[in-house]
Amino acid sequence: MREKSGNRESFRSAALLLCALLEASPAIAQEMTTSLVDIHQGSPLSDRARGLGNGGYELQNGNRVSFNQWYRASWVDMHVDLLTQVTEDTGILWGFGTGEEGEKYRIQPSLKLGFLTQMHPSPNSTLSLSLTTTFGGKLTEKSCEADYGDFGTYSVNCRLAASQMAPEETLKYLVNAKPESQHLWLNYRVSF
Amino acid sequence: MSGNHLKFGIALAFAMLSAPIASAQEAPDADEMAALCHGGLTICVSATIPAARTQAATPGWMSPDVGAAWAAGYKGQGVTITIVDDFSSSSRFSGNFGVGVQNQRHGEWTREEAGMIAPWASIRSKDFSTGSAVSLAPGRNVLNLSYGMYTTAGYSVNQIGWAPEEASIISYASSGSAIISKAAGNDSVAVGGVTNGQQDYLNLALIGKQTAIFVGALSTNGTTTNKAQLAWYSDYAGSNPLVQSHFLVVGVDGSKTGLYGTSFAAPIISGYAAIIGSKFTNATPTQITNDLLNTARTDTLVNYRASLYGKGEASLSRALAPVAIR
Repeated sequence: MREKSGNRESFRSAALLLCALLEASPAIAQEMTTSLVDIHQGSPLSDRARGLGNGGYELQNGNRVSFNQWYRASWVDMHVDLLTQVTEDTGILWGFGTGEEGEKYRIQPSLKLGFLTQMHPSPNSTLSLSLTTTFGGKLTEKSCEADYGDFGTYSVNCRLAASQMAPEETLKYLVNAKPESQHLWLNYRVSF
Repeated sequence: MSGNHLKFGIALAFAMLSAPIASAQEAPDADEMAALCHGGLTICVSATIPAARTQAATPGWMSPDVGAAWAAGYKGQGVTITIVDDFSSSSRFSGNFGVGVQNQRHGEWTREEAGMIAPWASIRSKDFSTGSAVSLAPGRNVLNLSYGMYTTAGYSVNQIGWAPEEASIISYASSGSAIISKAAGNDSVAVGGVTNGQQDYLNLALIGKQTAIFVGALSTNGTTTNKAQLAWYSDYAGSNPLVQSHFLVVGVDGSKTGLYGTSFAAPIISGYAAIIGSKFTNATPTQITNDLLNTARTDTLVNYRASLYGKGEASLSRALAPVAIR
């Protein structure tokens, strides 16, 4: 799945080019155009979920259990960011993430909303500010059912079932993570 | 002796005395040991994404499994290990569990060893010379018996007039109210066998009891690539299926500690039982006993056979692992 990160970079380059075009053509802004700003697969949470797949342990009979089977997904979370230009110097940033799901985790779909504004302190400079908020996109790790023979069957954290921790204690360590919910971006550019 | 009943005057401890060793071997530095033995909640995993299995530094004589137990911060809490042993005689000998050379009584050595395996277990000392009944603490109990009760061979166990001490221990093993970790003996005979015309009648009395575990010694901790063999002195399981099904072996690496004998095998099982009890907080002594017996490994032993190794080499990691997970 790591190769998907390469796609993220190429899409980013394309998005930056689109941004540059947008800035260079103010006339287009008058028509409330919507432009693709960024499209990429993967995210910090996606990487984190993948990281949970490292490791494993032996069952009582010596058979090895690998975490990898539980923390891989056939589809990696894809994010699409768009900009709808409202005036010459303002626009609405919006987008979405598809989410992803493995056997023992889920990343919810997400929605991104925000704005972008810019001003020109001097003819050859631009000050830009954007603020975006992300809704959803939470990473939730699922539990496993572990059979401990005579000790009974417990709901456990899959990764910690063979540790010395009491089965019920392992549930405290299930990953429950939110994506970066707000993003503030400030940029000042001078051309010379 | 009175009538058909025997009274024991002397309980024999199962240590094999050796020459004192000169220096600490593989001893962690003072600060490190303090952290291992007295550190607070040293869960070596992050708050949100703990590693599946981490390893803490352990003295070289311990199985690596114990390091994993320590790393997870589970060290036998909630379980009481009572060491029934010699805490009052003038007999002392030297050894080194990785904390420097010490000169201690037999019971002080076995108590230290069990406490090192399961540092958060509550450890109690019961001097075996008193003969008084062993009381159980609230919660789960493990009794460590690194001694035997020897007299002339040929009597039936029913003929023995047990002191309240051993009578209470046998009763706990029968009722399943405490785990009994019993050193197998150092005579290179089958458990309950005759040596020099004598037998260990405490071994005989514990055969077939649900929570009794006989513990033999391997010369090292075994691995699949470096298999271990029974220490030359250790008693073995023998042909009795009741013994074989309750016989475990563990590494007693005397080359590292200067301490040899099944006396130092039993406290390892006592510590393992305490650690399992700290994970499965509702487990009964019988369940913990069976877990240890049923998860023993045979692939780490040279030419495994039940008559020699019983159920095999105790494996703490397997005893803590699930049978299945989905």
